[in-house]
Amino acid sequence: MKGDRKYIFTFLLPAAVFMSVFLYYPFFKSVYLSFFRTTGFFDKKFIGWDNYKRLFTDELLGAATLHTLEIMLYVIVFQVGIALLLAVLVDNISKFKGFYRTVFFFPVVISGTAISLLFVLVYNYNFGLLNNLLAGFGIEKILWLDESNALRAVAIPTVWHYVGFYFVLFLTAMSKIPSDYYEAAKLEGITGVKKTFLLTIPLIMSDIKVVITLAITGTLKVFEFIWVITKGQNGTEVLGTYMYKKAMVDQNFGYGSAIAIYMVVFGVILALVANRLLKRDEITY
Amino acid sequence: MKRSSLLLVSIMLLFSMFLAACGSNNSSTPSKEGETSSGTETSTEAKKDPVNLRVFSTFGGTDAAREAFQGVLDEFVEKNPHVKIENDTMSANDDGFRTKVNTDMNTGNEPDLLFYFIGTDAEGFVNAGKVVPLNQILDDNPDWKNGFIPSALELARQKDGNIYAAPLTGFYEGLFVNKKIFEENGLELPTDWEKLKTAVTKLSEKGIIPLSVPFDQSHYLIEHAILSAAGPESQAKGLIDGVDPNWEKGYAAMKELYDLGAFPKDAATIDLSMAGNYYSEGLGAMILEGSWAIGGWSEETRNNSTVIPFPAVPGGAGSGNDIVGGFGTGFYLSKATYDDAAKKDTTIELLKFLTSPESIQKIATANGGTPAADVEVTGLAQVALDGFAMAAKADSISSPVDSKVSQETFSNLRSNVQPVVTGKKTPTEAIEDAKKTEDANKN
Repeated sequence: MKGDRKYIFTFLLPAAVFMSVFLYYPFFKSVYLSFFRTTGFFDKKFIGWDNYKRLFTDELLGAATLHTLEIMLYVIVFQVGIALLLAVLVDNISKFKGFYRTVFFFPVVISGTAISLLFVLVYNYNFGLLNNLLAGFGIEKILWLDESNALRAVAIPTVWHYVGFYFVLFLTAMSKIPSDYYEAAKLEGITGVKKTFLLTIPLIMSDIKVVITLAITGTLKVFEFIWVITKGQNGTEVLGTYMYKKAMVDQNFGYGSAIAIYMVVFGVILALVANRLLKRDEITY
Repeated sequence: MKRSSLLLVSIMLLFSMFLAACGSNNSSTPSKEGETSSGTETSTEAKKDPVNLRVFSTFGGTDAAREAFQGVLDEFVEKNPHVKIENDTMSANDDGFRTKVNTDMNTGNEPDLLFYFIGTDAEGFVNAGKVVPLNQILDDNPDWKNGFIPSALELARQKDGNIYAAPLTGFYEGLFVNKKIFEENGLELPTDWEKLKTAVTKLSEKGIIPLSVPFDQSHYLIEHAILSAAGPESQAKGLIDGVDPNWEKGYAAMKELYDLGAFPKDAATIDLSMAGNYYSEGLGAMILEGSWAIGGWSEETRNNSTVIPFPAVPGGAGSGNDIVGGFGTGFYLSKATYDDAAKKDTTIELLKFLTSPESIQKIATANGGTPAADVEVTGLAQVALDGFAMAAKADSISSPVDSKVSQETFSNLRSNVQPVVTGKKTPTEAIEDAKKTEDANKN
């Protein structure tokens, strides 16, 4: 066993190098850059904590944080909720299981940008799908992406895109529940909705926890839907798009890096809080 | 022993190839001037080492000159079979290509020839010495230098007085008007502010989008509003030395137009290409765009269009005949390539070829830009000819205001368009906000 250690390290090394080069190096470089005032690529000046001070007075960042939290709420309620509902339904049927699994999983495979472009044409005011339908009924056109609706309108494709992923996770978790639990429940006369709430959901609680953590961290990365559909206008700016605008469009990499660090800290705190709130004894079969 | 001698032999072989390559390059340079193929030249060509060059430009995606540019490159390769050119392109529609260019220039991954902006945008890599001044090369090749219109070369100078970029085609921006829509509604061309207001009011009542512009990608709206309100001199000063109150009038003018219903209802969420689409489809009567946009419109709209300067904002310093334009882009020759003996001469040949009057004519025909050489561009739509006439008659031609302030300041100006027109911010607040960003950037 002891002689294996050498090989274990040898085989772990490539992955460790890969992670260091593409994850840890950029991360620490961001930390480093966040202490600089940068102008373009060729000019930077050390400014200490100024970028971090700016974080706390930046109204746009505050707004972006709130918008991100709002999308997070939709994602947890609808994305996880719909995925769970679909998984329960599909778990309970005996035929066409594979068919539904493929159908519900399919949107995950399509690129977010492609879906976003699709929704640009759905929501467009002048010749969008929705307004054409309304025109067909003789109803006046609606501005789908105005200030009161835009964030929710963008949340719809965001939620829809990843439902299938969580659905598959839930379905796999459900298939791992031993059938004798259900047989025992059947003898006790527990069926239907009661069975779902008393048996299935408690037994996959640990998976639900994982999914919620994934959903929270995933929401912090939302970018393409907002970028393509609204460009962050009309109250839809989220952390991802705001960071990109500051770093890439304005070429202020220092402040962009500071926002990135803020996002990491914010995400870790949220994930910890979520874990604490969902704390339960682990169930083993 | 045997192995090391083999190594020595192969190194010597390699060296001799290099030497041969240099020799043949030098000998063929003068004979190329005439571009006539003779028996001796083809034999020297055959000996040449393959040269791989990377040319980065924005002639990709939906660019009107994409095919013409590829054609010019192909022509060069045909004449110089030992050269392989990688035509590396990225669309100029978004800001992503600036990031790519700057990353490439900063990380030692410079393209051999780079087609990029002249001015503030290029300052970073010019000051860092990543590209070579072309002054000497231009003087050494009078044929090449005389191909350009002198004013085009003058406009290509950086702040330090050197020319780093060889211009290809210039551009102008203006207020493009769909004459047919104006005639159908009994309107006059919006040559002054009152006429513009009348047109906006009437078109808006009829349900036609008067001026198809987006709020986020409002580059052209801001450029014209500020130029016509502040005048060319104040516009050129930017914001660094203080705020000219006339800048605010530009934002106030946008609000005035918005209140009359000038912009599309969904101006807040559409992008530039969608705004162009509305104009192209005849849903919009006017658009602020550049000469490059003409080729992208539907034939009907193109044939019905004309272009005029954006009217002067009342009380501002503009004359109503100031336009945005110039030779804002050109080919840069990277320092790394210039120092690489194997590539240097071929790259300069390619640079000369790409900016020869013949090539300039081809690109200008495709993208409707003003040629940097004295060539006649034929087969252009009437609107493009109107554009040339407008540029020729203009009182002043200024480069866009985004080249006068920092990137972040310009983003700030852009993001304040919507708050100002909807009344959430005053024009004064918007300009003050931009001034703060500008100051923070220059620290």
